Amino acid sequence: MRFRSVKGLLFVVLIMSLVFISACGGDGSNATNGNTTGSAGDGNNDGNGDTNETASSGDGEEEVTIRVAWWGGQERHEMTLDAIDLFEEEYPHITVEPEYTDWDGYWERLSTQGAGNNLPDVINMDNSRMTEYSSRDLLMDLQPLIDEGLINLDDVDDVYQDINVTEDGAVLAISLGANALGIIQNDDVLSEYGVTLEPGYTYEDLQEAMTQIASETDEEFFGFDLNNADFELFYIYARQHGQSVFNENADGLGFDEDILVSYFEFIQSNVNNGISPPHDVTMDYIDGGNSMTGEGTAAAAMAASNQIIGLAQTTDMELSLNLPPTLSAGENGNWIRPSMSFAISSSSEQQEASAAFIDFFTNSIEANEILQADRGVPISSEVRNHLADQVEGPVAQTFEYLELVEDYTSPADPLPPPGEGEVRGSFQRMVESLKYDMATPEDAAQQFMQEAESILQ
Amino acid sequence: MIISPWLLGFFLLILGPIIASLYFSFTDYDLLSSPNWVGFDNYINILTNDPRFRQSLTVTLIFVFVSTPLKLIFALALAMLFNTGRKGTGFFTTIYYIPSIIGGSVAIAVVWRIIFGRNGAVNELLQSVGLSGTNWIGNPDTALSILILLIVWQFGSPMIIFLAGLRQIPTELYEAASVDGANRWQSFKGITIPMLTPVIFFNLIMQTIGGFMIFTQAYLITQGGPMDSTLFYALYLYEMAFEYLRMGYASAMAWILLVIIASITLLLFITSKKWVFYESEGGKS
Repeated sequence: MRFRSVKGLLFVVLIMSLVFISACGGDGSNATNGNTTGSAGDGNNDGNGDTNETASSGDGEEEVTIRVAWWGGQERHEMTLDAIDLFEEEYPHITVEPEYTDWDGYWERLSTQGAGNNLPDVINMDNSRMTEYSSRDLLMDLQPLIDEGLINLDDVDDVYQDINVTEDGAVLAISLGANALGIIQNDDVLSEYGVTLEPGYTYEDLQEAMTQIASETDEEFFGFDLNNADFELFYIYARQHGQSVFNENADGLGFDEDILVSYFEFIQSNVNNGISPPHDVTMDYIDGGNSMTGEGTAAAAMAASNQIIGLAQTTDMELSLNLPPTLSAGENGNWIRPSMSFAISSSSEQQEASAAFIDFFTNSIEANEILQADRGVPISSEVRNHLADQVEGPVAQTFEYLELVEDYTSPADPLPPPGEGEVRGSFQRMVESLKYDMATPEDAAQQFMQEAESILQ
Repeated sequence: MIISPWLLGFFLLILGPIIASLYFSFTDYDLLSSPNWVGFDNYINILTNDPRFRQSLTVTLIFVFVSTPLKLIFALALAMLFNTGRKGTGFFTTIYYIPSIIGGSVAIAVVWRIIFGRNGAVNELLQSVGLSGTNWIGNPDTALSILILLIVWQFGSPMIIFLAGLRQIPTELYEAASVDGANRWQSFKGITIPMLTPVIFFNLIMQTIGGFMIFTQAYLITQGGPMDSTLFYALYLYEMAFEYLRMGYASAMAWILLVIIASITLLLFITSKKWVFYESEGGKS
């Protein structure tokens, strides 16, 4: 008898556990954000601030509430909340409900909100996910709002918006700032060994410089840190060869296998020769906070330009931004990236208030003084020029860097196809097996291309 | 009528999601657009065309078959230790139970990384006796062992259950045995273990099922890496569902896992007839 009841109990437990598997979301904060977004720092803030301040409506306009979602670290959250307070002062009839979290938790939450038809009105979008959402008609076309003057882009050059405009002229989002890929270098380390990386330096120059430091130093030294941005650097590498990671139709890859093989050789030989960190060391730094470049155990690291703002706060050493390596006799591979953007969800019932919010973030000089270009260099020339005279330190470096990069750019690739995340995952797994020396560049390239093509079908 | 609230909860919170996930497993549901029926495609792809599924199943099976027995041995050993009836054992029981409470937390994950990291305490200890360590968590050959260690260290729940089981064993049995000249090992083998078998069985089932569903610790410490060496089944399922938005595929994976867990549980039940003794069955022992 007792046996029976235990058995019954166990099967109930079994069923319950299934429910847990099938219906269990998680919240976590791993940081495999391949630095595409340059989240400055990596606050493990999983909060969902629900500050419901009722605005006093003095001008008889209808009271509305909009939900605004973004990702980032603690400092970004605080700056954004301050800017929102300013917005609510200026538009007393609009109440903003902020929803913020770190990079990983952000996308998990957004997709579940999308599944529940409960997306926020204003959504922080990343280029890598844009088509995922737009191809499912979840984002509103902003062109009508721009035409009506609700979102004013008069001071914005096309280059900052091109990537967000589809072929048939729909505007998916408004960029929040521009950045570009580059390297953050530790000037203290470089000057100690008399090494300089002049703009225009090549991949070979980089390897030589790192080899020189590695041979002269008797301390732990990891050289050039790819900083989990191996895939981003390959974007540049492919473009320097006049090709691209994805093809024009976004249904397959757009580069030759031998190019990927040579890139994989670069990565693997660097690790094997002790001028790039092995993967287990990279894993140690996965949580952000500190970095090899900041500690001086690496001389340079791949990064998005605005990441120097967060990184500079973690170290007393001199850091500066520099171009990524160039390809001898190759083309310009870099591009100015509208780093992230604000979109309005197609289900939003508060289009005008949402548009006002985006307009405020784009054009308000006061707001941008608070926001400190943390999401990238502002896209409005008015705001940019105003801030350029004010900012100092690493923020000023990002402004200067974008001017330097301009001479090394070619037109941006179109937005990556949906499935980019999975392709990236496959790429990073291949990079891992190369760094552990468990695959040859030829095999890894072949396997990646097979996996990527089958994902993109 | 009285149980209708319970029924409502059952249908809404348990049966509903179960049926929904079964339906999704036959679709290409991506969380953001409406699902399209794809028949058995997900199941076929998982079983024939997905090396990472095989990797995650292998890792999970190794994990379950190594960690569960170890955990039960530890739990029983500690329970025996605390079953003396002396004063103060309650305090120590609590101390040993703490890891199970905090084990799934970010703090423990960080501590584990610090202890087993490249410049961690373990390596410093090894260096002080002239051995060279490795980056335990960053090495594909050792990362899984570190996680097994962490889970075995969380033996609190089975320990408490064993303790309750031990207190159920009548002391007359031990007295009778010692009169007959049995030593401690003999009474352990002849009395403690047979009398405990129902409890051992219960713990074995619970820990096995729990083992298959390990997620949090790996998610926080290794994220499945390096080289997929700690890619537990639930971790891979989660990645598919929430990172790559392949909810249909993930639902099919969940149902395959259910079948696997159910088969292993059934197997345990069948073999249990051979080694689990219930008092009601009379003196087989």
